[in-house]
Amino acid sequence: MIEDITKNLINLKKEFAKLYDGKSQIQEIIPVLKSESFPIIQKDLDLLHKFAEKNPIYYNFYEKLIGNTNCIVYEGDINKYWLNSIQYGSSHAPFSPTWIMSAYVGVLYAKELGYQEIIDIGSGDGRIAFCAKVLGLESYSIEIDSMLVELQKLLTFLDFHLYCSDATLFDYSSLSLLRPIFFIGGLAQMGGTTLASGVLDKINSIPNLKKNTGWVFAGSYSQKYQPDPKNEAGWGTLIEKNDLHSTHTLSLPTAWTFHEPDETPYIFAKSNI
Amino acid sequence: MDSIDESSNLFNIESEKLESIINSALAKPELSISEIIQIYYQIMNVTSLAALLKKQLSISDTMTGKINDSLKFISEKFDSHLHHSIMKQLTNSISNTTKNLTFGNTLEKSKEDVESEAKLYEQLRQIMSTKEFVEQYDKGLSND
Repeated sequence: MIEDITKNLINLKKEFAKLYDGKSQIQEIIPVLKSESFPIIQKDLDLLHKFAEKNPIYYNFYEKLIGNTNCIVYEGDINKYWLNSIQYGSSHAPFSPTWIMSAYVGVLYAKELGYQEIIDIGSGDGRIAFCAKVLGLESYSIEIDSMLVELQKLLTFLDFHLYCSDATLFDYSSLSLLRPIFFIGGLAQMGGTTLASGVLDKINSIPNLKKNTGWVFAGSYSQKYQPDPKNEAGWGTLIEKNDLHSTHTLSLPTAWTFHEPDETPYIFAKSNI
Repeated sequence: MDSIDESSNLFNIESEKLESIINSALAKPELSISEIIQIYYQIMNVTSLAALLKKQLSISDTMTGKINDSLKFISEKFDSHLHHSIMKQLTNSISNTTKNLTFGNTLEKSKEDVESEAKLYEQLRQIMSTKEFVEQYDKGLSND
């Protein structure tokens, strides 16, 4: 089912990119209703819309038929968060969100793999942590940028655990994790490797946690970045160095690939132990 | 015409072009981003050609003199003067645009306001990446 939803979401995005004639910096779509193409519980879809409607990064939304799917288009702007992060050096990588639907599909897949806790590292506006809560998982959101943390406070109506902290210094043993999966924010080439390495070191130092832990890395095949010699969309070297192996890749739309022909590959990995 | 003659002719054309661009830039209080990029592009063009020609054993004394004159011109008019003015202009421009945008962040905005302000952010990104490029040139000067 997840593979089908992913394929249909990519087709929907491509159709939307052809039709879109607005001027917003970022834009995304969420289907209005459960359908054959998107067999998602209606209550979950409604919560995704609520997240977008309450989210101050979106300043406009409207209904539009894309292909055969009635969607809401959300138009947004994240410039002020970018400006804040470069002014105060408050983050490892600038904030640029995945699509809410992509966050939902990624977490749905993590849930199917049997993970019990989602830890959204460099969580931005907290959409992955939010989707985890929608899907009934224990959910933690860790973000270093205080401006983004304040934004998340407006969106915690599902009460996920929110921490304003440097994820590379955070004490993960305090969370008593059993079967966690970490979603690492930021491309490998945009500060993601430093962030991921710091978190991996922390998790590897907690007894017995390494073998139960999953990892999700947002990759890129863009030619503007130097390729990683071990591939995996920029993450191969880090994966090998940390004794992990990739188990699956989900390609999903993100804000930064809206105008690109390829989607963002999310690399799911786990320990070799 | 052999390849040294071709390179020498090209050097003459490009160094004259550079001289004209720099003299015109010195007369202006501020430069546009495209003018700044054009100047640095032309500097690199001329210095690369100069380096190429200097490696040739068979270039004439006249040509060697022209190359030295051109490099002296770059050093005196550009490296010691215009380059610093450009750095200052870009730094001030980033600071002022950032200040204006930060101030505007507290206000409620319409769709049109947000989209028009997004253009200013795009400009800011362009100025910042130009400054990064200019700083690379500056690092090269410090290492000389």
